[in-house]
Amino acid sequence: MKNITYSVLFLLGILFVLPATAQEQLNPKRKQAIDSLALEKVRDLSKYITIIGSKDTPWSEANRVIDRAEELFMQGSEIGVSSLLRPQIAYYGVRKYFERLMRLNYSKVEIQWYKIDYVSDLQRQPDGTYVGVITVFQKFKGYNKEGNLVYQDTTKKDITVYVKRKETQIGGRMIGFWDVLLGDMRVKETQK
Amino acid sequence: MRRYLVKLPRIMVIILIAGITFGGLSSCQSKKKLAKEKAAAAYNTKVQQAKKDLTAMLNGTTDWTLDQQFKRLDTIKSYNIDEQDVKDLIVKVENKLKVEKAQAERKAEEERLRKAEAAKKKAEQAKFNVINERFATIAHAGSYAEADNMINQTLNIFVTPDVPVLIIIDQVDGVNDYDRPTTASRFLNYLKDIKAYNYAVESVKRNAEGKITELELIKK
Repeated sequence: MKNITYSVLFLLGILFVLPATAQEQLNPKRKQAIDSLALEKVRDLSKYITIIGSKDTPWSEANRVIDRAEELFMQGSEIGVSSLLRPQIAYYGVRKYFERLMRLNYSKVEIQWYKIDYVSDLQRQPDGTYVGVITVFQKFKGYNKEGNLVYQDTTKKDITVYVKRKETQIGGRMIGFWDVLLGDMRVKETQK
Repeated sequence: MRRYLVKLPRIMVIILIAGITFGGLSSCQSKKKLAKEKAAAAYNTKVQQAKKDLTAMLNGTTDWTLDQQFKRLDTIKSYNIDEQDVKDLIVKVENKLKVEKAQAERKAEEERLRKAEAAKKKAEQAKFNVINERFATIAHAGSYAEADNMINQTLNIFVTPDVPVLIIIDQVDGVNDYDRPTTASRFLNYLKDIKAYNYAVESVKRNAEGKITELELIKK
């Protein structure tokens, strides 16, 4: 009898939960647009990192770009830094990471990101936030003042992305927008 | 005996005439029968072909156009085939073709409206060509100085550098989905950093002086 009661309650529970789950399903076209938007934010970050790291970028420009790059991240996020010269991975706050990147002790720095893609698709969380993981490969090259390549590595990094539907008032009307924020950027592997 | 011999030619003529008469008659009758059989066979072939064509049209296995199917249906109807299964097939095919015709007409109308909408949009976009070209120039500037110069010039078309810039990332069921709103100044600097302009101006709001108070872009 007890088992039957539990079964009925379970089925009733499913009946309540199913419609809500269906409503939360994103239209595939919309889902694709959000996926692309999150990927684009990571591509933007890759451009910002190249600009910040480049010794050709004027100091004022690099600082402006650091501000823009910082805005891509959630507060409190950390970025991992690895090196072939040491086994441990150091994690820095976003601002500190960019400031270190700007001041790297090379005469010329080349940073290139490639193979930017989802390693884990955006999944809806109970609070309505969509969370996914994007993986990137970073090729780093550092040159000395003679123009010789003195250090290079390729690092695979995983970036957590958070996408949430938000609303804001503009020109007296409510605008619904998708806010994409990047979370921690974890080093997965580093190779020469 | 002589009497018989005299009458012999007359008897032979009579036999000949009778032979011709009866022989011809019987030949005519067999020709008629043959013709009747031929007609029946032709009718049967026509009915079988009609059934085959109607079934193909009903199952959608023919490569005829809709007009060709209507024409074939009219031809079959003109045969006035008095067989119930053919009559039933005609009704079914007629209904199917009517539905397909309505769908084709609706599709053609939708296509016409889509083309009209695209033409209207293109005409509207032409109004924004100057703005789009300015943005593209910033994105493709050869140096920071050149880009900054273009940004300063372009900011003059806005009321303030903080004018909201909305970026449509997708349109679903007539509802716009936006990226996080930005400002004119930040957007122009973004173009300088990213070195690409992958948008088109969707709408512009201006004040009485013609300066932009709100800009809406759409991702291309």
